[in-house]
Amino acid sequence: MSEAPRDAGQGPPLPRLTTGNPQLDDILGGGFPANSINILMGEPGSGKTLLAERLLFANADEGGRPLLFLTTLSEPLDKVVRYLQQFDFYDESKLGSAILYDSIGEELVEAGVSMLVPRIKEAILQYKPKVIVIDSFKAIHDLSTSVPEMRRMLYELAGLLTAYETTTFLVGEYSAEDIARFPEFAVADGMVELARNKLGTRDERFLRVLKLRGSSYQEGLHAFRITSGGLEVFTRLVSPVEAPSYDALTQRVRTGVEGLDQMLSGGLFRGRSTFLLGPTGSGKTTLSLQFVMEGIRQGETCLYVSFEENPTQLDFQIRSLGLDPAEARSQGLHFYYASPVELQIDSLVTRIFTTVREKKISRVVVDSVGDLMMSASDPQRLHGYLYALAQHFAVRGVTSLFTYETLPSGTALDARVSALSDNILLLGIELEGSRARRTVRVVKARGFQHDLDVHELRITSQGVEVGKR
Amino acid sequence: MKPGDEPKTVNGVEGPAASSRPGPPPPAGSPARHHGVLILVVERDPHIRELEAHFLDEAGYEVEFAKDGHAALEQARRLLPEIVITEILVPKLDGLALCRQLKGDPKTRSMSVLVFSILAASGRAAEAGADAFLLKPLAEHRLVETVKALMNRRRQLEGRSGNE
Repeated sequence: MSEAPRDAGQGPPLPRLTTGNPQLDDILGGGFPANSINILMGEPGSGKTLLAERLLFANADEGGRPLLFLTTLSEPLDKVVRYLQQFDFYDESKLGSAILYDSIGEELVEAGVSMLVPRIKEAILQYKPKVIVIDSFKAIHDLSTSVPEMRRMLYELAGLLTAYETTTFLVGEYSAEDIARFPEFAVADGMVELARNKLGTRDERFLRVLKLRGSSYQEGLHAFRITSGGLEVFTRLVSPVEAPSYDALTQRVRTGVEGLDQMLSGGLFRGRSTFLLGPTGSGKTTLSLQFVMEGIRQGETCLYVSFEENPTQLDFQIRSLGLDPAEARSQGLHFYYASPVELQIDSLVTRIFTTVREKKISRVVVDSVGDLMMSASDPQRLHGYLYALAQHFAVRGVTSLFTYETLPSGTALDARVSALSDNILLLGIELEGSRARRTVRVVKARGFQHDLDVHELRITSQGVEVGKR
Repeated sequence: MKPGDEPKTVNGVEGPAASSRPGPPPPAGSPARHHGVLILVVERDPHIRELEAHFLDEAGYEVEFAKDGHAALEQARRLLPEIVITEILVPKLDGLALCRQLKGDPKTRSMSVLVFSILAASGRAAEAGADAFLLKPLAEHRLVETVKALMNRRRQLEGRSGNE
């Protein structure tokens, strides 16, 4: 899963052009290499024009060289500028001076594609632009009378744009098949694809760097949202490059349930991940809350991620354990609640990871993984995320507890999911005639001795208690 | 200009067309001409030739072109430009060899040589005796500033030798 950064080779580092988005810059290894020719591709509405516009406003500098946005035939210039004004980054003072919008659609229709190179050359001589955006470049193909004409024009255009110190973005509604078909892809130094995946009532948006000559970049699909500030990008979480230091992970962490600590011969190991399985009503949330409250008692900073119970409901549960939720918050208990209907795993995982890093969290509960699974359009992707998350926690010495709801009848857990965790605790409800009782069993405890027996689990006013079988 | 065009002076190269498009107005008035300052540009790439012609002309210099090293040597000896701007990768005689030959010939050694290349070879350019090095792509401000600095140095040297 881990990706070694690809070496960009010898030579001086390339100067970079910011996209105006720190996460996207990070994905691109610091931004687009300056003086390159790049293609921004994706279906209509995928956010490619917005990406280009955000970049223009981020690089517009009064008194410096201007940035040029040329529209062709896909959208009237007025429309592009009208929509642009809806965004936070729009700055009217930049327009007409630092950023120049112009339309070349009519000239293209009248004179054909051969006018493009002299027109761009004229623009270079007149404006000396630092950046040139042509949107839509793909639409120019529709005006070409022959393939050789288009190829010749592109050869000339690439020569011109390479000769002059400017960074170019060719924006177009290209699909994957176009990459082998259209000659602009052969001359492009960089390619970024934006895609939208329609999922019932909501959309998932992803971007992916397909090529970035002379630069390393973060591969794979990165989720994003369109906001009033432009694209909000959630960098795909990959496993940490450094391995967890197992020597440092010998410290025991008490679970907050004494009987359970005894079954685990002293508690869980710091930095390890535990899956807490059980049917509804078996005590998963109560035990999880005890786990974080024990952390607070030990002076640790804790995070409780919940997709089912909102903060008010969790406060109620904490109070029912005889504890004060406000005090717990002031002592370092953080809650993160996301409604299941808004779940998108990329943004969730990014937020969990960012919170853990920024708040220096040492105990985490994710309640529950099943909700995450329901939100994931791609189970493989969720699996990769959980693995990467558990690895990052291990490296940082964060002890994690993931709850997972099973059916009352069984313990069927995806074998891959169980392989993700260091430990598995199984809660159950056993029926004896008309009497039901709760149970707990340690199914797996990586690397240490533990009690194999089924123990009785009671929920009292102090929370979960574990007794002898 | 198309690839393969004969070397030509900037006279006749079209400047930016008058336009009602948005943007900063063109600089008021024409720049002061550096009368008699001739620059020989040795360049194979037609786009760079045209851009260099435009920006150097805009800055007030006279420009002649050569598209290979042999032609450049011949033109340098005949036209005696003050500055030679050369790419390293030019046919027949490469830019660094051209620089060495110019610097080794009493007739041409006083010319300032600016190596302007796609190759990051400032060290090799200095070894060949070049007075300055610039890496492509072309940025007009860097090019023009470098040419101005070379001219200032020449004028200072001329002043000094004139006083002796």
